[in-house]
Amino acid sequence: MIGVSIRIAFVLLTAASALFLWRLFKGPSVADRVIALDGLLIAVTCGILVETAREDSVTSLDTVLVVALVAFVGTGVMARYIERRGGE
Amino acid sequence: MGSVADVIAGVLLVFGAALILLAGVGVWRFDDIYARMHAAAKAPTLGILAIALGVSLSVRSVVVTVTALLVVVLQLVTGPVGTHLLGRAVYRRLRPPLTGVDELARDEEARDR
Repeated sequence: MIGVSIRIAFVLLTAASALFLWRLFKGPSVADRVIALDGLLIAVTCGILVETAREDSVTSLDTVLVVALVAFVGTGVMARYIERRGGE
Repeated sequence: MGSVADVIAGVLLVFGAALILLAGVGVWRFDDIYARMHAAAKAPTLGILAIALGVSLSVRSVVVTVTALLVVVLQLVTGPVGTHLLGRAVYRRLRPPLTGVDELARDEEARDR
């Protein structure tokens, strides 16, 4: 039962990552790409959490916090960059 | 007990992943940067909450529960801050056309005067 829902969750997260990637390549402005990258890292965070549930151990868990923190710091830095330089 | 928790965990995992996918669809389809930001900011927070809850229910270990809680708290704190920073930068620098009432322009005009 849990294995089936883990597979479904992986499929949904992969589809979401594909959509975020599409916006990352396509996005007309820098801010669109920042949004897409943030969403992609959120999908990666959730993917690592689901992976923890799949293998029922804590080996891949430490990376979750790092990825979540990098997503926030990246968004903040890019927002500062856009505000100072003006992004096209 | 164990099987009931597993069923709830499975439902929560699928629900959270579906919310992330919903955010992806919003970022993919919406044609305004503010609308895309709106889609990318709100749905993933509940999605991460549901997935963290599901993983905690599924694995049932203290380390996993504490780390999942930390991730949820981090997302709850940093998500709005990051979106706010980006939204302000977009409003001031990129200047996309707004539809409807622009209350921030009025406020910034009043501040500059």
